[in-house]
Amino acid sequence: MSTKDPVNLKQDRRQWLKTSATVIGASLLPLPAISSEVAAQTAPAQDKSREAKTASPFFTPTQHKMVEELSETIIPADSHSGGAKAAKVADYIEQVLRETVDDDQKSTWREGLRLVDLMSQHYSGKSFVDCSSEERIAVLTVLSGNEHLTDLPEVRFFRDLKRLTVRGYYTSKIGIHDELEYKGNRMLAQYVGCDDPTPKSS
Amino acid sequence: MAEPQLDLKKTYDAVVIGSGAAGGMAAHVLTSRGLQVLMLEAGKKLPIEEELRSMQWPYDNAYRGALPPDRHSLTLNEYTIRNPPYGPGFEKSKHLHSYVGSTDYVKNIVVDERENPFTGTNYAWVRARCLGGKTNIWGRLALRLSDYDFKAKNRDGYGENWPISYSDLAPYYDKVDLYLGITGVKENLPYLPDSIFQRPTKLNCAEVTLKESLGKMGRVLTQYRAGVTSDGLKHNQYRSRCFGRGACERKGGCDIHAAFDSPTGLIYPAMDTGKLTLRTNAVVREITVDQQTGKASGVQFVDSETMKDYAVRAKVVIVAASTLESARLLLLSKSRLYPNGLANSSGHVGHNFCEHIMGPGVVGQAKDLVGKPPTLDDGRPGGFYLTRFRNLTEKHPKFIRGYGFEGGSGSRMFPEGTDKPGFGAAFKEEVRKNQGAYISMGAFGEVLARYENYVDLDPAVKDKWGVPALRFHYKFGDNEHRMAEDMRETAQEMFEAAGFNIVHVSTHVLTEGWSIHEMGTARMGSDPKTSVLNQFEQSHDVKNLFVVDGSAFVNASCQNPTWTIMALCWRSCDYLADELGKGNL
Repeated sequence: MSTKDPVNLKQDRRQWLKTSATVIGASLLPLPAISSEVAAQTAPAQDKSREAKTASPFFTPTQHKMVEELSETIIPADSHSGGAKAAKVADYIEQVLRETVDDDQKSTWREGLRLVDLMSQHYSGKSFVDCSSEERIAVLTVLSGNEHLTDLPEVRFFRDLKRLTVRGYYTSKIGIHDELEYKGNRMLAQYVGCDDPTPKSS
Repeated sequence: MAEPQLDLKKTYDAVVIGSGAAGGMAAHVLTSRGLQVLMLEAGKKLPIEEELRSMQWPYDNAYRGALPPDRHSLTLNEYTIRNPPYGPGFEKSKHLHSYVGSTDYVKNIVVDERENPFTGTNYAWVRARCLGGKTNIWGRLALRLSDYDFKAKNRDGYGENWPISYSDLAPYYDKVDLYLGITGVKENLPYLPDSIFQRPTKLNCAEVTLKESLGKMGRVLTQYRAGVTSDGLKHNQYRSRCFGRGACERKGGCDIHAAFDSPTGLIYPAMDTGKLTLRTNAVVREITVDQQTGKASGVQFVDSETMKDYAVRAKVVIVAASTLESARLLLLSKSRLYPNGLANSSGHVGHNFCEHIMGPGVVGQAKDLVGKPPTLDDGRPGGFYLTRFRNLTEKHPKFIRGYGFEGGSGSRMFPEGTDKPGFGAAFKEEVRKNQGAYISMGAFGEVLARYENYVDLDPAVKDKWGVPALRFHYKFGDNEHRMAEDMRETAQEMFEAAGFNIVHVSTHVLTEGWSIHEMGTARMGSDPKTSVLNQFEQSHDVKNLFVVDGSAFVNASCQNPTWTIMALCWRSCDYLADELGKGNL
């Protein structure tokens, strides 16, 4: 997955945005079809009225499934410990987005999920959830390799996805206890340090 | 605990404005000398253990420990690109806090910026209006000053000397050490005197590596000198000894009060004498003056909840509201006799405002610790303190005064290194393998006290209670920026010399105010023309008025101020009690 020459995202995205009108029907994501980049950056009015109902879930079941796979691709299970899916990182992200007062962040996520699915269609002909883990890694590698292009909504989405996945994972039971094997946050009789080779009088 | 109610008909021996380190110490010393004391605190008395929840796991917190979503805490970027007041632009958030207010554990301790606006130059002003003030969440580094600081003018000709020497204050530092508890290791340094330490903490392996390497350069790294009782205090029933639970690392405080805080360390024991009356929600708007005698007669305050006004009387008024709030209150207390504000015949109130510059620092990695089994590294009140080494024996060609570094190393509950690029299995493994190998430190340097750096009252903007807001005229100067450049270079050099991989070098100077070490706005001195207070923090102009917080400092030194605030306050209150007894006030 590590590429010396990252994909030129600005060039590639012209293609996958162009084909978006035709492939959107194949996408599992129930989002409005938007074919131009300009329109893609403005959240439609009907979305905003939906946001007003804060108690209802932010993600559709399909989107939730996609976020589970995205977060697991960021922090996967390995022989050492469970990954983001086991740590229920998607539930954490759902809560953050449901409760935030930052409408830009909500738009970033709605738009980001749509664009990543378009990318997935473009690179492997399948929606993100239907991809193999190698294919998922390939899509996120494109974004990771272009992390500095913050003017692109899919890049801003990737950065927030990674930030929230990291935060959700390393504050979870699996992240703290299984993965990092954190030893603190308990009553300690005496701190054990490195043996000081030049002990002082006290 | 005996809790006498506020008696508006009574003339108290002393009224203390503020309940932080200074106010708490004044209450402790004066009640122990038999005085009837009234303490006024602008904020609430919080159920502090419920706020701090020092051992709560992030996954047991509704927001994983972060600030609830209807609140916002200002970021470095926002401080940089916006000008005060910081309220406008954040209308979507129900509450707006300073940068410190970024966790669920401090949200009710730091103030709402919109209720407490200020204007002028950019400033990260961190305020805590609640019983105990900022001592509920302070960083705990408890250092003494020396004659390198008190007599700094003798060394480089800049500024003013303090009207006291180390020998005047040393006995009071000792009293503070013994009454409140402090952990550390004796180093016998003339520029950083030792305290009377309880059981010290230990250094971990990366810190020992750095210490040994620095030793070859003639520089000193010592265990974090924390205002934390590691052995316990037999005379105090409100505080436990430290059990190394690790919560010191996160923005919050100590819910077993092993770390000093003013309520459990000073105020509750003072209330047990039966001589202290506490009135919270009391926003003092003016110190009143007897126009016949010219002396302070008491204070006027507004109840923060009911908005009702009150007037109380006292023989002595003690201002301990924090450096900037104390200056504000003196400036607010204008009268026919004192048209420039109280205690301000010198015109120095609000001026000579100084603090510590922060930002430059370094993150490194101890190569030999990468991939080692996880260790417990945060079970102690702090990591290390790298003491000042500039302008002690040799003169630095580019700046005067000095700086020290605070640092630490090893594993924490939330790992370092998650901001690196990449994702996936390799990213996860990197974070895990490196988590215990990180070591970092950041500098705190002396900002010169300059008359041109000052605060005054804004002519138009008022706070929620109708009290005129402060206006800042404050910027770091050339000496600070040249010093910051040196901090960055030496930080990197020292980590390279210790054999660490350099992960990151911070060059950016943080917004003014970031250190939360404001000082100097009512400085002491022997000349009433150029100073506000005498060596006992007593107003030159109004002899029954004392200002006992950081505003009395003549210069900032590079050491954290809390322990010195309390030692000075103890000395001043001893003098106050003597003078009151003699009928001299």
